Amino acid sequence: MADRYLILEDGSAYLGEGFGSPAVSTGEIVFNTSMTGYQEIITNQIYHNQIIAFTQPTIGSYGINHDSYESILPTVKGVVVRDVASISTNRQRRWSLDQYLKQQNIPGISHIDTRHLAKQLRASGPMKASIVDVADAHAFDQLGATVLTNQQVAAVATPKPFPNPGTGLNVVVVDFGLKHGILRELSKRACNVTVLPYTATTEEIINLDPDGVILSTGPGKPQDLPDSVLTMIQNIQSRVPLFAIGLGHELFAMANGAKIMKLSPEHHGANHPIREVITNQIIYASQGQGFAVDPETVDRNKLITTFVDLIDGTIQGLRYRDFPAFSVQFFPDGAPGPTKVRDVFDEFVESMQQARGPVW
Amino acid sequence: MQKEVVDSMAMKRALTRITYEIIEQNKGIRNVVLVGIKTRGVYIAQRIAERLAQLEAATIPVGELDITAFRDDQPEMADQAPTDYQLTFDVAGKKVILVDDVLFTGRTIRAALDALMGGGRPQSISLAVLVDRGHRELPIRADFIGKNIPTARQERIKVSVTEVDGHDGIEIIN
Repeated sequence: MADRYLILEDGSAYLGEGFGSPAVSTGEIVFNTSMTGYQEIITNQIYHNQIIAFTQPTIGSYGINHDSYESILPTVKGVVVRDVASISTNRQRRWSLDQYLKQQNIPGISHIDTRHLAKQLRASGPMKASIVDVADAHAFDQLGATVLTNQQVAAVATPKPFPNPGTGLNVVVVDFGLKHGILRELSKRACNVTVLPYTATTEEIINLDPDGVILSTGPGKPQDLPDSVLTMIQNIQSRVPLFAIGLGHELFAMANGAKIMKLSPEHHGANHPIREVITNQIIYASQGQGFAVDPETVDRNKLITTFVDLIDGTIQGLRYRDFPAFSVQFFPDGAPGPTKVRDVFDEFVESMQQARGPVW
Repeated sequence: MQKEVVDSMAMKRALTRITYEIIEQNKGIRNVVLVGIKTRGVYIAQRIAERLAQLEAATIPVGELDITAFRDDQPEMADQAPTDYQLTFDVAGKKVILVDDVLFTGRTIRAALDALMGGGRPQSISLAVLVDRGHRELPIRADFIGKNIPTARQERIKVSVTEVDGHDGIEIIN
């Protein structure tokens, strides 16, 4: 394997070994502390245009299997690891991580001191980075001159509506770059799903006569989305049960007057204890967030805080006081795990059933 | 034959949802009091009160009601049961939420309404039940329902709560 470099915007360079695609690429680098679930993380569209550094020392040891995709095509810009496993004995394995990244034209780099890198990123916050062959002045100039898009949602959300038919409750999912886990959990509950682009209007949603609406996860900064999205949420939330996840949660909060702040350090992993306020129980969930709802700006007469992160006190869930509209910042679909939080989808289904009334 | 239709997780969720719905429909918890119908209704009322306290950082009064003396279908049991006003607080001007485990014929609830009288004129009385199984004999409906479970008339619904039965769950027995 060839020597390659991971270079960062602040001038630092890490020598490593290339794997996956030999392409040169640039993106914002973030680190993820999950012990397992690299396939779900790499294919999660919230990491669109980003380079993911895994702090778990060995990545790739169970290969790539067809049950764990969170999108059809991954759009990450690179994978940074300490050690990439070249073999796998998992019965579900189809490809190795190396083969998969080659197919998808995504460069990887191994033999990086990811512990040092994580400490550096924890202090600095995410920054631009490149995976390159030569770490010379030219490469740093190129990196410094690269402007990353802020139109990530438009790049990964579906441009056209599509159905995911089922025999149960009728659910509209507004797609901001959804992870497949959301559709998987709705399928398990027999929901009849229509996925609409994030530009969907109130009328387009209501005309489908939904029993409930989901605002999906997605990449980027919520403030970069058009205000029409907030108007849509304000119109929908009082009419049908609403469940918002990840970026959707941030938009739901904004639509109800809260401000969004940059989070530092960001949450990418599944190691934060989260308190469910109503029962005082502690749960764990997989997280991927660079932004958080500013608690000072939450109108307590409108919203109830339902989940709180116990490491830094950030809001992990909100609920509207006057109607069944609620949101979670973490990923409740358990892909990758922990899976116990999938319960929140049952809560959504039961809210829809209640809103419809009894069937007899 | 016995079949568990709601497990402890689903029961916990139902109580959580009822709690949020109580906040939604009462625009907060001002003047709200909970009254549980003995035996299991009391424990369910207490759990809802704990949840409301977590969310709103306020204590909600929880009353206990023994409605035996007010039943119209078991006159032989009425002699040894209390007939005076049983709550430790006044319900005048309050938004009373009656809580029971199962809503069936509606006769228990009618009796509970009788037992509540004497405590003044509440602003409103609403009804929260963990299970609505249908087969009403009186014009009564619940405002907050944990689970609608369609049943045959001769089946029995058994709600278990940890405080009395050692575990949480809802079973159909026939």
